[in-house]
Amino acid sequence: MRRTNKRKDSMETKKTKFAALTSVLAITALVVTACSGSSVTSSPSVATNPSAVTSSSIATATPTPINGAGQTLTVLIGADGKYGAQQQQWFKDVSAAFQTQTGATVNFQTFASGSEELTKIQTSVVANQGPDIYVVGTTFTPTAYSTGAFVSLTPDDWNKVGGKDKFVPADLGISGPTDSDQVGIPYTSGPFVMAYNTDLLAKAGIDKPATTWDGLAAQAKQLTGNGVYGMAVGYKDGFDPWKFIWAMSRQAGNPIISGKVAKVDDPTTLKAYQTYFGWLTTDHVVDPASVGWNDGQALAAFASGKAAFFPMSTTSNIPTLKTSAVKDTYKFALMPVVPPGATALPAGGAGATSILAGNNVVVAKYSKNQDLAFALVKYLTDDANQQVLFNTFGTMPVNQTTFTAVTTSNPALGPILDSAASSVATPFSGAWADTQLALMNVVVQTIPDLSSGSVSTSKLQSLLTAAQKTAQASLDKAP
Amino acid sequence: MIPGGALMIFVIVVPILLGLYMSVLTLDQYTLRQWLSAPFAGPGNYIEAVTDSPLLKSFWISLSFAVLSTAAAVPLGIAAALATQNYFPGRAVMRSVFLIPFVMPSFVVATVWRTMFQPDGVIVNGLHSVGITSGLWLNGPNSYWTLVFVEVWASWPFIYLLALAGLQSVDHDVHEASALDGASWWPKLRYVIFPYLKGPVALACVIATLNHINNFALPFVLFGIPAPDDVQTLPILTYSTTFESFRFGLGAAMAFSSLMLLAIPLIIYVRAVKLDVDEGADK
Repeated sequence: MRRTNKRKDSMETKKTKFAALTSVLAITALVVTACSGSSVTSSPSVATNPSAVTSSSIATATPTPINGAGQTLTVLIGADGKYGAQQQQWFKDVSAAFQTQTGATVNFQTFASGSEELTKIQTSVVANQGPDIYVVGTTFTPTAYSTGAFVSLTPDDWNKVGGKDKFVPADLGISGPTDSDQVGIPYTSGPFVMAYNTDLLAKAGIDKPATTWDGLAAQAKQLTGNGVYGMAVGYKDGFDPWKFIWAMSRQAGNPIISGKVAKVDDPTTLKAYQTYFGWLTTDHVVDPASVGWNDGQALAAFASGKAAFFPMSTTSNIPTLKTSAVKDTYKFALMPVVPPGATALPAGGAGATSILAGNNVVVAKYSKNQDLAFALVKYLTDDANQQVLFNTFGTMPVNQTTFTAVTTSNPALGPILDSAASSVATPFSGAWADTQLALMNVVVQTIPDLSSGSVSTSKLQSLLTAAQKTAQASLDKAP
Repeated sequence: MIPGGALMIFVIVVPILLGLYMSVLTLDQYTLRQWLSAPFAGPGNYIEAVTDSPLLKSFWISLSFAVLSTAAAVPLGIAAALATQNYFPGRAVMRSVFLIPFVMPSFVVATVWRTMFQPDGVIVNGLHSVGITSGLWLNGPNSYWTLVFVEVWASWPFIYLLALAGLQSVDHDVHEASALDGASWWPKLRYVIFPYLKGPVALACVIATLNHINNFALPFVLFGIPAPDDVQTLPILTYSTTFESFRFGLGAAMAFSSLMLLAIPLIIYVRAVKLDVDEGADK
């Protein structure tokens, strides 16, 4: 389940120096802010960073000074496999800055896998003790909410983290079931986009990727041949398949879960699976070996120039692509937003370019340092740190000020930022984890048929019926 | 007695009782926080586990996979033990090499084999080069045989170790006596050596079978979650139910149902091969 955060790490290593500079500036800003004891500071240090100068978040960094001397905040966060050293340095920087600001130290605990994350969260929930702050994937937020173990944010709590207004509105879409009942505070964004090979498209006379799934399949057919496939897809990946199915279904007007009703066996979802599998069985636009590929292997195929499109990509793939055979011939575009079989978005359909992907932070109810925790969350989501996260790890900012600055200064990232702004949240339901697993199970059990070149409608319907039963049963158990 | 009893209570009895208690609760993500006051479900989780979940199918998958793995590992282990029984140059090295699969962590074994069993991996390509189209090994019906094969590869040295220990216990006089009697290699093996191996190998079989049934890391890393239906073993099903679907009560009921189901053949087998020490001592 979870884990939209597993691939939204980073992007541009060439910006490391700038990241270091930004990091120093951010820390300096905090130090100066803390030392001044004032909520409004315009220090010379901050003034050297244009984005920091325009940051309302820094300006309101400490609305109420908090004395955390002698206290320790514990944060549970996913280990960054690609930028481990940078992450460790970032931990030190944040802890030092926060100690200067409040007197409290920050202890970062990391988890290496989703299983480890779940185990730690469940153990803490049962024991009523553990980390004060958890960084969780957006799709895991509904499950976290359903445990009742995390602070339901009051208007005052939102003020403590800088106010809702400082966040990109779309990123608040999976913070809670309603606007007034929320537990998740946006932390990073990692929208999905589609990478494409400009050289291959140009040779085929295609000026830009299609905006409909049917159009994309047609372009992929045109691009397939001479050892090159139209698309690179990882059917064996543990997460990507359900995202394709959800996106196509949502675009067709089916949110998969609507209130207390599961709609997994809806015709729109059947069509989504048929389209997804059809790329291999009928369109023949993906490598047959992709039945055993995960996302990384699909990326490798695209990076070696053997595929024209790589849908369901994130900025975390940029470091790989920048050193690959396609380093000068790849671009990003939005994934199609018109569902299979349609030429325009149908009534009730949502132009979902991506699931609302990224990470939220949640604060444990059992935490004895909640105000201190909110102060740290404020620091983490303020402009200065969001700049650091963007430059160091490539995560898209959730802070509106940072988002605007990044948009202005990085036109090449336009599609990614557009996708961030137009992402659509998956259903906020405690049953989503089960439903997501059921959607994945359909793909897993179909792979042998996929490999043989034919997936029958009857088998697909049978699997969807079973998935529907699972999803509905899970929904029925929700209070 | 008292230290041992206290240890047993805290290490074994208390966790089992807690698990048993969990199995009769409606314990899920909604009630986990206040788990001691979670709604009482009675036998509901057990009924659901047996009648409305893949538990029984998983039971047969686990049991058959475990028995097959043990059956395949036994001749390999005994043969290796016999081959390294008598001294020859390099015997120590060979004995050490034999243990490599056994000492490797399961997740490492699974990762390596998963890479080799990929659709465009070395095994499929190798078979294809000699004219064999093998199909998928990590999905579909073949996945079951992949699991058996990798489990045998990783576990046969355990049988080898215990068989070797059995061979070490054969009295030198017995070898001399059989030689004086002119016994050829097979009668000597069949009537002289094998009786010495019966106890250690039988014990190895029981332990190995239980280890196969409880092996979570191997199928988890080889096939992932959700697992293909053909390799949804008991540990995988219990894990998925508990930690992916957050049905902690149902997961506990599945674990206890599995324990009861497995205890029956296990007890019968243990008594049949007379591994009960006291009973043997009485005779």
